[in-house]
Amino acid sequence: MNTIIQAFGLVFAPDVMIAIIASAFYGLIVGSLPGLSATMATALLVPVTFYLSPIAAVATIITASAMAIFSGDIPGCLLRIPGTPASAAYTDEAYAMTRKGQAETALGICLWFSALGGIAGTLSLMILAPALAEIALSFSTYENFWLAMLGLMCATLVARSSPIKAIASMLLGLLITCIGIDNPGGVARFTLGSTDLLGGIEPIPALVGVFALAEVMRALTEREPPKLEHRRLGSILKGQIELTKQYPKQQIRGNIIGIIIGVLPGAGADMAAWVSYAMAKRFSKTPEKFGTGHPEGLIEAGASNNASLASGWVPALLFGIPGDTITAIAIGVLYMKGLNPGPTLFTDQASSMYALYIIFILGNIIMIPLGIIMIRLASRIVGAPRSAVMPVIMVFCAVGAFATAGNNLFAVWCVAFFGAFGYLMEKNGYPVAAMVLGIVMGTMVEQSFVTSLIKSDGSLLPFFDRPVSSVLAAMTFAALLWPVFSWTMQRLRRQRVAAA
Amino acid sequence: MTPLADRISGSSIALLGAAAFFYGSKLPPVPGQQVGPSAFPMVVGAGLILCGGLIVFGIGRHFEEVAEADVAEHSAPELLEPVPAWRNWLALVPPLLLCFYALASETLGFLITAAIMVFVASTAFGAKPKLSVPLALIAPFCVNLIFLKLLRVPLPNGLLPFPW
Repeated sequence: MNTIIQAFGLVFAPDVMIAIIASAFYGLIVGSLPGLSATMATALLVPVTFYLSPIAAVATIITASAMAIFSGDIPGCLLRIPGTPASAAYTDEAYAMTRKGQAETALGICLWFSALGGIAGTLSLMILAPALAEIALSFSTYENFWLAMLGLMCATLVARSSPIKAIASMLLGLLITCIGIDNPGGVARFTLGSTDLLGGIEPIPALVGVFALAEVMRALTEREPPKLEHRRLGSILKGQIELTKQYPKQQIRGNIIGIIIGVLPGAGADMAAWVSYAMAKRFSKTPEKFGTGHPEGLIEAGASNNASLASGWVPALLFGIPGDTITAIAIGVLYMKGLNPGPTLFTDQASSMYALYIIFILGNIIMIPLGIIMIRLASRIVGAPRSAVMPVIMVFCAVGAFATAGNNLFAVWCVAFFGAFGYLMEKNGYPVAAMVLGIVMGTMVEQSFVTSLIKSDGSLLPFFDRPVSSVLAAMTFAALLWPVFSWTMQRLRRQRVAAA
Repeated sequence: MTPLADRISGSSIALLGAAAFFYGSKLPPVPGQQVGPSAFPMVVGAGLILCGGLIVFGIGRHFEEVAEADVAEHSAPELLEPVPAWRNWLALVPPLLLCFYALASETLGFLITAAIMVFVASTAFGAKPKLSVPLALIAPFCVNLIFLKLLRVPLPNGLLPFPW
């Protein structure tokens, strides 16, 4: 009980409250601007979190990401352009509702079910994380190695791209972490004689490059979105209670799918929305209505993407394995703030963990009034010209990386390199999220791999000896072979159809 | 037939993997230990060689096509229209401007460097001078104010120090 009171004290401190409110507005604005994703919003926040207290820093990330995922739905509903990739799955459904004159209902569904989804995700975090922490305490390096491998394989499995390209991206990320002297022998690896590379590549400039600068680059090659006309909107929340009663199954299924996808490493809100929308259509009694402005898919996918946000923190807090790209950044911040991920976090820093749960719930509650304000102001904000927003973001990329790296210009070079590299990768179908996972987890994977090999005297058998490690190993191989299985099944099905 | 871009990227990845494997194998071992700093780069390098080869032969391409079709089905048709080829080259502007920042900020100072960056980027986005010039004057000033006063990060003064 004492810990919970302490946690409330931590959250309701003035600096944390200011951080929550400011980051909420920031997240709502960035998320609503087409082309700026929630991950980019988070990446640009990192330099600011550097100068905040640990709880305020975590609060800014949680609040800004939750708000950005919701407000990405606003231009989706009104302009048919998703504000963030997490809204892409149901953008045309939401826009079809707007065309039918139901813009308020569509926006209301996005807001209401996002908030409920966020709270469901938080409950899953509160239940799952401490329970898994108990189990994780008994893990040896073998289990940690397989867990990390499973995490990396999951990320390649769920990437909406070729699994081979996803594995290649992940391996590139791992190779990047080989740079520097932070290795078992303390030998300078891949430094090419540069003193700057001795310390290795810091994850934060790399993340700012691939998530923020690459997006500025992409925006330069894309058309300017059409202007949003001012529109008079009625009550946003009208009819939402009825919809909640009418579609309880869709909402719960959306929440559960979102939670599961959030826990899977590397898969985030966008994946959750795609899967949930497809599920809603698959199990609907009226699938023919999908795409014509039907609320069912919108409810399920909207409930799903926000639920995935909180559950993405489960592997991040327990094992330092990012549940999605946002938690990949959050892990960096956690380390920076001395909240090193691991099962002991739940025993040693219990009050900080409770504070994190409270922030999640608070963030999802204030999403409703602030979201309504944002929807009302949308015509003014969404219409902000890219030629004014993007150059400022680019300057923030440079200065932010410079500041987090201790005023070192090498970080700016890193942002430029990773921006260009990330852009090229995306253009050629290589998922950058998999590379980021490799960068964030590389050191941990190498450490558990080499320590395990040293312990086993070079033998691979002990990797499969312990029951938990053999199960994790089997799951890793299954994840590796799943694409082959799925491809073979599809081929057989096609052959059968052709024969019939 | 595998697209040209995949053949180029796949072979580059395989080459990078081979270089990592070769370089890793040359790293000095830790005395008295079987496994040292060379193990991980060699494993990763071997993986990259394998993946690069598979990409060159177009393995896994099918999954990409399915995902592309899914995105195309859910997007507004006007967003899928191809943009003129020269616009793709504009993508180089932001990383080049960041390189410019890394090279010039110490000498010119943050305010001047950032003003040039904002002006060039804004013009590349198609802004008229009546937007890009005031933006280039005001935005660096505000960014400097945030970093210096709020976050207490001193940015390079160079030729034009921050007035407060």
